[in-house]
Amino acid sequence: MKLWLCLRFERLPLESLDRAGTGLVVVLERQRVLCANDRAAELGIRPGMGVATVRALAAEEPCQLLERDREAEARTLQRLCCWAYGVTPTLFSYREDCLQLEVGGCLALFRGLDPLLREVASGLTGRGFEARMGLAPTPAAAWLLSHADSGAALDCGAALEERLAPLPLALLADFSDTVDALRRAGLHCFGDILALPPTALARRCGAAFRDFLQRALGRHEEPSADFQPPPTFSDEYWFGYEVRANEELYPALQMLLQSLCGFLRNTQLQTGEIHWQLVGMDHSLREVTVRSSSRHSDWQNWYQLTRVRFERLALASSVEGVALACRELVSGELENIDLFAPRKQREPLAGLLDRLRNRLGLQAVLAIGCRDEHLPELALYTGYDRPAGSPAGAVAGEAQRPFWLMPEPQPLGERNGQLRWQGRLDLVYGPERIEDNWWREPACRDYYIARGQAGQYYWVFRDRRARRWFIHGIFA
Amino acid sequence: MNEALQQIINRRDTWRGDLPGLAANGERHWHEDTLPTGYSTLDAQLQHGGWPLGSSIELLSDGCGLGSMGLFLPAMEKLSAEGRWQVFIAPPFTPYAPLLRARGIDTGQVLLVHPKNREDLLWATEQALRSSTCSAVFSWLGAGDYRYAELRKLQLAAASGDSLGVLFRASDAAANHAPAGLRLQMRAYRQVHILKQRGGNQHLDVSLPADEDIPDQPQLWELPAGPARSPQVQPAFSFA
Repeated sequence: MKLWLCLRFERLPLESLDRAGTGLVVVLERQRVLCANDRAAELGIRPGMGVATVRALAAEEPCQLLERDREAEARTLQRLCCWAYGVTPTLFSYREDCLQLEVGGCLALFRGLDPLLREVASGLTGRGFEARMGLAPTPAAAWLLSHADSGAALDCGAALEERLAPLPLALLADFSDTVDALRRAGLHCFGDILALPPTALARRCGAAFRDFLQRALGRHEEPSADFQPPPTFSDEYWFGYEVRANEELYPALQMLLQSLCGFLRNTQLQTGEIHWQLVGMDHSLREVTVRSSSRHSDWQNWYQLTRVRFERLALASSVEGVALACRELVSGELENIDLFAPRKQREPLAGLLDRLRNRLGLQAVLAIGCRDEHLPELALYTGYDRPAGSPAGAVAGEAQRPFWLMPEPQPLGERNGQLRWQGRLDLVYGPERIEDNWWREPACRDYYIARGQAGQYYWVFRDRRARRWFIHGIFA
Repeated sequence: MNEALQQIINRRDTWRGDLPGLAANGERHWHEDTLPTGYSTLDAQLQHGGWPLGSSIELLSDGCGLGSMGLFLPAMEKLSAEGRWQVFIAPPFTPYAPLLRARGIDTGQVLLVHPKNREDLLWATEQALRSSTCSAVFSWLGAGDYRYAELRKLQLAAASGDSLGVLFRASDAAANHAPAGLRLQMRAYRQVHILKQRGGNQHLDVSLPADEDIPDQPQLWELPAGPARSPQVQPAFSFA
C-alpha cells in the first residue's frame, strides 16, 4: 500500500533566509508580512499585516525586515530533497513549500512507522527546520492532513474520508471562487461536500475541482514528478551565532560530512576532493579544498583530513556558516581493506598518506624505488608516486651496497696522501668499477669501502676522470 | 597501602620487578607480539626474544654509520610480507632502494617523510605510530631536547598500534629518563648496549654475530683490515 508523508515547511521563507534565529525577523512579500518568527509572533505580528503595522508593533525593538527570496526557498527545498533521499527513493517537492515522501515501501527498513517518523523528525531538527507532517495514501490528502492537528494528521488507522471531514474547505486556495460559492451555500468543511453525490458536485463546481477531490481520495492516479539526485552535492550549516574558535566548527563539519557521505552512499558515488567554504560575519568567503589520493565515501576519513587542515587554519574573522560542496562525483568501486589481512589494519593504506600530505604538503612525503641503472644515484628513484614498473624481486649476491645514499656525492678532503671525512679514512675494500652514461656525461668511478675513525663504514669513490675522491654513501 | 603508592603502581609505565611483563592492574605492559631481530645474540638478551611491537624503541647513537639500520634490516624484511607502510620520518639521507630490494624488502612500502619543523616531526611520528597502516616507523628525532610528556605521547601512540616503532636520538639523551620500553645505545660498529629494558636485563653489551647477516656475502667486519690499496695506485683490475 502506498503511504505518503507530506512535510510542509510553514516557515520555509524564513528558514531559507534567516540564519541567526534571534531577534525580531519578518519576511515580507509585496510589503505584506508573509512569515514571522517566534519573537515577532509574540508581539502580535501576523501574516498579512502591512509594514507600518509591523513597525508600530515592534516599537523600540530592532526589527529585521527581509524580502522574500523564492530562489533561496527552491534551493533549500532541493537540499532537503537530497537529505530525504536517504529516507526513501520515491519523493518529490510539492507546491512551493512541501516535500512528499512515499514511505510505504520503506517501513520494513525502518522497522515500523514510528521509528521512521522519529528519524525524519530528528533529521529535520538537526538541520534547524520545522515541518508539519501529514500521512495519507495520496499526496494531496497528505498535504491536506498536514493542516490538521498532529494527532489526526498521522493517524492512518481511520478511513480517509473520516479524517478529511473536519478540515475546512478554505485550505483550497487554488479554487477560491468555488470555495466561496460553497461557503455561501453553507458548506464549510470537507465532510459537507464528501457527503454530496460526486456528479452533482462536478456540475456545481467544475471538473478541475472534482478531479482534485478524486485524486486526493485515491480514486484517480496522480501523476508525480520523481526526484532524481543531482550530480553534485552541496550543503550548508548556519551556526546562529558567531564562531571564533576552530574547535567550535568541528561538530558542524562532522554533520555536513555525514550528510555528504550519506548522499554518496545512497547514490553509489565517490569523490576525491571536497570544498569547504567558511562564511564570515562580514560576508567574506574562505575556501578550503581537501583532497584525498583515493576516491572514497568514508566520512570519518574525510573528517580526519579536514581536521588536519582546519587545525592550522587561522580564522581571519568570526564565522557564521560553513558550506560543503562536492563538484566531481564519480561512480566508484568500493575499496575495502583486506578482511584477511594480517594483524589489525583498520583503514586503507592511503589514509595515512593523505593525512601526512594534507598537513605537511605534497613534497614532504616521498616514495622510493629502484631503476635499472648502473650509476647509484640513477638507480635510486624518489618521487611522489610509486614508480611504475620498477624491477621486482630480490636480486641476491650483489656487491656490498650502503644503506644511506647521499643526495650528491661530497668531495673528500686529502691531507698527506690520507683521505679525510670527519676524521681519517682508511680504505678497507675495493675497488669496484662502475662506468656508465657514456652517451651523456661519461662517468667512470672506482668505489671503495672506507673505515672512519669511530668505526663507521663509508662508500667512497675515486672519479677517474676528475681524479678526485668523493663520499657517496654510509653503511648503517 | 599508601594511596599515592597505589596510584603509581597502577600506572601502565610502572614496572614491578616481581611480575615480569605484567603491570599491577593485570594488563600486559606490551603486546605479546614480538618480532625476532634476526640476530641470535640480541634475541637472547631481549625480553620475549625479539623487538617489542606496539612500544617505542629508542636507539641512541651519534652519527649514522654505526650499523643502527643494519640492526633493523632483518625485521624490515619480515615486516615486508605484511604489505603495510614502512615509514622513515626525517631520515638523514635517502635509503638506497637497490640495497633494500636486494634484502628482500618491497621498496614500494617505504615512505619518506620530511617534516619542516620539530612540531611537524612529532606530529608525523605520532600519526604514523598510531596508524594501523604501518608495519614499521623509523623517526629521527635527532639531537633535540624532548620533554618527557612529548616522548610519552609517542609511547602511547605506539602502544595503540602494533608497529615496530624506532626513535633515533643522540647519545646525550642516555642521561635523561625516557618512557620507551626498550632503549639501546650504539657505541661502536654493530655493538649494541642495552640501556633500559622493561622487565628484562639491562646494562648489557651485545655484539651482532657476523655470520647471521647475509651468509653469502663478505661482511664489512670480515674485510681485510688496513688500506686495500694505496689511493695513489691505480687498480690493476676491477669487477664492475
